[in-house]
Amino acid sequence: MLLCIGLNHRTTPIELRERLAFAEKTVPEAAKAIRQLPGFEESVVLSTCNRVEIYTSHGMETAAQQGLGALYDYLTSHFQLTEEQREALICYRLSAADAARHLFRVVSGLDSMVLGETEIFGQVKAAYKVALTTGTTGRSLNKLFQRAFNVGKQVRNETTIQRGSTSVGSVAVDLSEKIFGHLRDCHVLLIGAGEMSRTCAQSLLSRGAKSIFISNRSYDRAVELAREMKGEALQFDQWERAVHDVDIIISSTSAPHFVVTPELIEPVMKKRYGRPLFIIDIAVPRDVDPRVNDIEEVYLYDVDALQTIADEGRRERERALTKCEEIIEEQLRKFGYHDDAASSPVEVSSLPTPPLNLEL
Amino acid sequence: MEPSRLLLVLATLAFLGGVVHAVITLRAGRWHESRWHLLPMAVGFGFQSAFLYLRGQSHGRCPLTNQFEIFIFIGWSIVLLYFLVGTAFRLSLLGVFTAPLLTILQTIAMLSPLDTDIEPKGAVNAWKELHATVALVGYAAFALACITGIMFLLQDRMLKKHRINALFHQLPPIHDLASAIKRMVIVGLVLLTIGHLSSFMIKSPVPGLLHLMSWGVWTLYLVIAILMQRRTLTARHIAWLAVLGFAFPFISLWLIAR
Repeated sequence: MLLCIGLNHRTTPIELRERLAFAEKTVPEAAKAIRQLPGFEESVVLSTCNRVEIYTSHGMETAAQQGLGALYDYLTSHFQLTEEQREALICYRLSAADAARHLFRVVSGLDSMVLGETEIFGQVKAAYKVALTTGTTGRSLNKLFQRAFNVGKQVRNETTIQRGSTSVGSVAVDLSEKIFGHLRDCHVLLIGAGEMSRTCAQSLLSRGAKSIFISNRSYDRAVELAREMKGEALQFDQWERAVHDVDIIISSTSAPHFVVTPELIEPVMKKRYGRPLFIIDIAVPRDVDPRVNDIEEVYLYDVDALQTIADEGRRERERALTKCEEIIEEQLRKFGYHDDAASSPVEVSSLPTPPLNLEL
Repeated sequence: MEPSRLLLVLATLAFLGGVVHAVITLRAGRWHESRWHLLPMAVGFGFQSAFLYLRGQSHGRCPLTNQFEIFIFIGWSIVLLYFLVGTAFRLSLLGVFTAPLLTILQTIAMLSPLDTDIEPKGAVNAWKELHATVALVGYAAFALACITGIMFLLQDRMLKKHRINALFHQLPPIHDLASAIKRMVIVGLVLLTIGHLSSFMIKSPVPGLLHLMSWGVWTLYLVIAILMQRRTLTARHIAWLAVLGFAFPFISLWLIAR
């Protein structure tokens, strides 16, 4: 019988999750140790920053409760949890169709912190590969995981669960890529050092933006942020000169008037020889005169525009969720778990709330 | 039905099928990047190639003897270039924009009567053949520049108006589209120049209107290329020129072939 025990970002606080995370090099040993527990035939250990899950195949069809208890004991003893930690630990214990369904949802990104994210697919694949190489998988888990990867691909190809961005930061990155293609040649200018502009800038840097200039009324704050982001700090009266050299401007000053005007941008565009300029105005009141968007090859987005796109991305993913669940149920049936099959002998300990967590 | 015409009808249906499928899936938000979208283009290309082969066999030369064949040859060249330059784009979506143009070209061609009384083989003038084929492939490059220009203008509008929809997600980055327009204009201009240079080697006189129109097209695209290189125009203006400019070779071909 297929069994799964696990904890994730919704069941367990990070303090306990990090306590229970398997270090990469210990995963093969853990998989072997689990397989050697009485009645266990196969095992795969998945350990990421958001979840720790153990998938196993147990020889006795009627001993699910017992098997899951053994896995729980293994987890708590392996990590030497104190009584207090044991009490705080909430795991989900799943068997048969519920365990398979959970794996299918995990690989499809439906159980992730950011609904529809794709990184988990690679993480599950890597975990399965480790188990395969270690020799702890057999017929049951091989079939299950191969099916799960097919489900993940089908969900990705046939639904819009991964389409669009769901946070202001990711919208900014997606738009940048739609304008410039890739960001490796892009220079970013941060005017003002607010929290949201910092998040946007970090998102751009993580996607490969070449460099960042930071200008703030408090030069010390600019220097501090530049150090953190490996960028260059500019005095506040110097940022206008940097506009010539950058491709993306993120503005979030607390100025009561427009600081970026058509009079500033128009001459700059003449010297950019067709290279577009993307301006993100996060400030309220706005920093950038809306007339700037009328200039050719300039694309201006204020915080409302970004938020609207992020909201639409969220709705798009939520709409796709039903279709994803249908695909998973259909694949479960094909895998042999029919609707009329005997229900799991194990009471499913409450699975976390519906996975509508999206980026903040 | 004449075998040649049947091939042409099948090719047109393949392109039309590609357009209908793409429009329906895009409107429903179900479009996903896949190489399967290339299938209608590949099938249509196969039928076009078979048609040109049959006609070439009948003529004993490159099948560019009438309006019917010229339009099919340009359509065939567009698909060929589409496959060759496609790696620079999101392949399947360029096909969505290319297929309607092909459908129009083929429909125009099919409206012309298919000559059943083909002239016997005469002496083939290699320079004339080279001139015609290279120039027409150049025209196909201008057609692709026109299609890419439409994609650019759509993407530019969506970015400016903050309209982020299913099509926006599938269109290539606007900077890449701008580069692609320039590349296709240059490719077309180079091919047309080679075609024109080879025309100097043709001993038999080239018809005056044909000559004039052809040089007119060359001059138009030379001006566009110079404006591009001097960076006097914005990317949006270049896109408009590529779109509107193609009307000139399109109309001139139609006039010449009549």
